Amino acid sequence: MSDAEQPRSPLSRRRLLQATALSLPAAGLLSACARDSGGTGGSASSSGSSASPSATSLQIASPTNPVKWPISAGNEPIAAGQNPEQGGNLQLYSYADYVAPDVIASFEEKYKKYNVKVTYSTFNDSNEALAKLRGGSTPYDVYTPSYDQLGKLVLGGVIQPLQQSYVTDIGNAYAEFQNPFYDQGWQYSAPYTLYTTGIGWRTDKVSEDVGARPNPYDIFWDPKYREKLAVLDDTREAIGMTLLRNGQTDVNTGDDTILNAARDALLEMTTLTKPRVTITGYTDIPEGRLDLSQAWSGDLIAALGYLPQGVKPDVLRYWFPADGKGMVNNDLMVIPKNAPNPVLAHLFLNHLLDPAVALANFQYVGYQPPQVSLTPEKLVADGIVPANLESALVKPGYFNSGYRLLELSPETDAKWQAIWQQFKAGA
Amino acid sequence: MALFFAVPLYVVLCVAFGTVDPLFRTSVPVWNPMQWQFTQLATVFERIVGPENFYLPPVLRTIGFVVIAVAVCLAIAFPVAYFAARHAGRHKALVLTLLVAPFWISYMMRMLAWVNLLQNDGWVNKVISLNGLLPTEQNWLAGRPTTVILGLIYGYVPYMILPLFAALDRISPSLLEAARDLGAGGFDVFRRVIVPMSLPGVAAGMLLVALPMMGDYFTNDLLSGSPGTSMIGNLINNSISTPGQSGQAAALLLIVLLVLAAPMIWYTRTIAKSEVRS
Repeated sequence: MSDAEQPRSPLSRRRLLQATALSLPAAGLLSACARDSGGTGGSASSSGSSASPSATSLQIASPTNPVKWPISAGNEPIAAGQNPEQGGNLQLYSYADYVAPDVIASFEEKYKKYNVKVTYSTFNDSNEALAKLRGGSTPYDVYTPSYDQLGKLVLGGVIQPLQQSYVTDIGNAYAEFQNPFYDQGWQYSAPYTLYTTGIGWRTDKVSEDVGARPNPYDIFWDPKYREKLAVLDDTREAIGMTLLRNGQTDVNTGDDTILNAARDALLEMTTLTKPRVTITGYTDIPEGRLDLSQAWSGDLIAALGYLPQGVKPDVLRYWFPADGKGMVNNDLMVIPKNAPNPVLAHLFLNHLLDPAVALANFQYVGYQPPQVSLTPEKLVADGIVPANLESALVKPGYFNSGYRLLELSPETDAKWQAIWQQFKAGA
Repeated sequence: MALFFAVPLYVVLCVAFGTVDPLFRTSVPVWNPMQWQFTQLATVFERIVGPENFYLPPVLRTIGFVVIAVAVCLAIAFPVAYFAARHAGRHKALVLTLLVAPFWISYMMRMLAWVNLLQNDGWVNKVISLNGLLPTEQNWLAGRPTTVILGLIYGYVPYMILPLFAALDRISPSLLEAARDLGAGGFDVFRRVIVPMSLPGVAAGMLLVALPMMGDYFTNDLLSGSPGTSMIGNLINNSISTPGQSGQAAALLLIVLLVLAAPMIWYTRTIAKSEVRS
């Protein structure tokens, strides 16, 4: 446009600005609604505004209170002995990078004559996943929850019981996962991965041996590492770690005094070390953005793939209590109730229980499968995991000595979430 | 308007004043206003002004960040828009296009680009230290308020430039000539003619950048990730992803909306008045 050109009418320009200004908050509202309605659509139709009948019967599974979930009429296992769905498109629903592409390819190859395809969809957190699964508008075949969600998934009728005759390789898994406390008789779930929660770092950034401290968790309160460390962006893990640091052993506590002490400690951490709150430690530690971080064991093994050029893998370290008294947990594979390809879904569960497939998956994902044949000693001896990261391997005994993050009652959960919100608000 | 504004707003209201599913702890909207419950709103309100007011620091922090960022945006945008409108001559369109071009890239990509630039061994530190000559160990991404404010400024400054440009471009050269003919010096012309006539553009620009900044959570998530720089947008986002608390997110959103509606209404009213006058 040139200077000689007459400006447009002032009226239209102002109207335009007004309209733009007005539309901005509306756009914000729309996006917020889109997220909300995903989570509420299903509940509105299934339970209305009254309490759903199953809520009262929600049991909290724990090693001392193993639970055998009911199988309700109308939601029975599929018939045994069927052929895979011809031309089926298996819908896999998991975290990003949580299933190896090789493993998907080998599954498609294995059932080539049925012309099988696998589509991998991802979610960021389990709430988002639950909302979508309950909505039911996007049917998935396989979903990977943590075990503390299982009760909700079963009682809410979100997942279907397994037809165990398809999952013949379950015998390869640790014995405790063939009859786990959270799902006696593995009626609804097959085990997927194992992990501990500890501390990860690079030796060229942190010169001390973190594990040699009298209380290694104290490092998150050490001003020496101010602005250079992170805790996991996970309510249960970060508060659980703080409880352990405070000398507690019940990482599922609802005790107000103990929880208040943990809250105070977390707020103190904010002032002392200004931690970042993130779950990207598996790239931040190897790439040097963080000196040290609370981490899942699988993060450090995955970190091997993110080391910058010229940095040797032997700088990575992971600490987990040698006596196994730390947080140790596992994820599952389940089949949603309205899975369009239930036979293929069962076969996919079985595929991942195959030792060779499980190993290939482990090498990509970094999270260890509960395979009896893949012992920590063997994984190190075979050079799959470097010796300096042997501590990042989950030993079978950990499931007896370690602390499990169990489902919390709604009241206790509300207390934990309140602490977490206060911490994240930077108050 | 009704479909895109009123209906979503009503859904937000129904969520904010709704209940929580006892099993899944997702929010259950209550569609009938007669049955609305105000517990979630009360909870949020208590967290802002009650004895355990841990929402107050992020609220104050957000206001502080936005005030600084808007001021800096104005300081950057005014000279740029002035130059483009008055001195770019026939290259005006080109200058404007070049200014706006980087903003065709999505906000997220631009913030991710800053993450790379601001890393310890990134270009920003290299430039500051003259490629390693000076000892600088600036850890920009370690939860610094400065970095978040910088992100906000960079992210939103074009929305300030464009209305300012429109306002300045519209000032007729003959008005300035008239001012000079009447004896005004260069600075007087600027102060007594250009500035007053650009005020509607300044107001529009400030609103356009301040409103989205108030709800921004992404900049903080990417450039800081530390609770020490949490903003209101982060509170809302955290609540949405917390079981049983999406209703509180909706309540928080309503409070923010009500507070922001005041300057909006003021702006639209003054504009309407000045239109009547002119």
